[in-house]
Amino acid sequence: MTPSVELAPAVADAAAAVHRGDIRRIARLISRIEANDESLRPLLECLYLAGGRTPVIGITGPPGAGKSTLVDQLITRYRARALTVAVLAVDPASPFSGGAILGDRVRMGRHNTDAGVFIRSMSARGMLGGLARAAADCLVVLDAMGRDVILIETVGVGQNEIDIMRHAHSVLIVQTPAAGDAVQAVKAGILEIGDVFAVNKADTPGADRAAAALREAVEFRYDAHDPTAWHPPVLKVEATTGTGLDDMMQALDRHRSHLTAHPTQLRRRLLTGARLQVAELVAVALRRRYFLEDHRDARLTRVLDEVVERRCDPYGAAERLLEGGT
Amino acid sequence: MSGATPKSGAIRCLLGMLGTDVHTKGIRTLAQLLRDRGVEVIYLGEHNTAEGMVSAILAEDVDVVGLSFSTATYVHYTRVLIEAMKAAGVDDVPVMLGGLIHRDDEDELKSIGVKGIFGPGSTTDGIMQFLQDITGKSLGSARDTLG
Repeated sequence: MTPSVELAPAVADAAAAVHRGDIRRIARLISRIEANDESLRPLLECLYLAGGRTPVIGITGPPGAGKSTLVDQLITRYRARALTVAVLAVDPASPFSGGAILGDRVRMGRHNTDAGVFIRSMSARGMLGGLARAAADCLVVLDAMGRDVILIETVGVGQNEIDIMRHAHSVLIVQTPAAGDAVQAVKAGILEIGDVFAVNKADTPGADRAAAALREAVEFRYDAHDPTAWHPPVLKVEATTGTGLDDMMQALDRHRSHLTAHPTQLRRRLLTGARLQVAELVAVALRRRYFLEDHRDARLTRVLDEVVERRCDPYGAAERLLEGGT
Repeated sequence: MSGATPKSGAIRCLLGMLGTDVHTKGIRTLAQLLRDRGVEVIYLGEHNTAEGMVSAILAEDVDVVGLSFSTATYVHYTRVLIEAMKAAGVDDVPVMLGGLIHRDDEDELKSIGVKGIFGPGSTTDGIMQFLQDITGKSLGSARDTLG
């Protein structure tokens, strides 16, 4: 579709650099992904087809819930097991300027000098084609780095951020006692995607109540009659002191084992991610064709004329265009 | 090396402090001013080591590094950082300094390799102009790629 400017040897060279963990080239590659550099497609294809082995853990929750501090603690625990870690930390951008303050690294500063930890910050806006595309492509690169585990952290407030979590194998939802009652949890729409729930700041008033409300909402969705269903635990933790974090690690380990024992569930999860991603790519391609190349498409021009002249309604036009093999 | 750093996209600027300096008011204010003008700030906060900052410079593929100092140790720490950047092969990333930088030290800082010095009396516009000139990226690019 898109003509590649990179020759095959250059692709092989770049892929080899990613596989051996060349940090500078990986970092530049991610910048090009953020800029939606289409010449990367052969490389990303090459990495994607050879990848998919690294466990991906998603961490999401409202701003200030303690996600970065929890990620910092997770990194420490994975490193204690001599596992290497790659982290993608997504922070929101200003809707006014497009700029951002990516501050997740502040909480993870102690891992800056550890070569076994790669941390990359990403702004939730400011890249072409949207955050979900950039994050998914970035995951392909992190996977190809050959790290033992990938952590991806997003602020769980938008559809984009939730969509990213569809690429994770295990999703940790972080809440706080200040998050409100169970209705808030249901409204947020995060119950559906969570595999492990952590109520952070468990030392603050209302933690028991918040955990109980969240547990009730989670239990409501859990199918006790299906012996193969994963039962999402709700845990109380203190990210700053580490209280409850060993339990949280165990819960994530158990979820990993559960997916290994029930490969159809992992496959269903990956299918949902693939469906979302491919549908989005189709939508982007169609939008581009309709907006940028409409003058070249005589049939599209004709149908749009009919809509303007009220000889065909927009729904009928869409149906006709889709049937026409677009 | 396949391709230089692209000149599209937002300016990525790493901001942090080295050593024991804990006066973060200035650098936090700058972080917000830069954000409001479309810059992606990777904020490291205080108490960084040169090694830690270099690995962040590498992983984040930043266009520019900004250091803030309110203590008199800035010549030493800046030299240590730039040496560490050279050792890691990232000394092509420009370094700028802000804070209580004395005019008498400017020549020495420049000889170390500092590209921009923004002491007392500096303006946001001056810093923005420097960032655009040194990175070859325009301020509007973050806005242009929204969505």
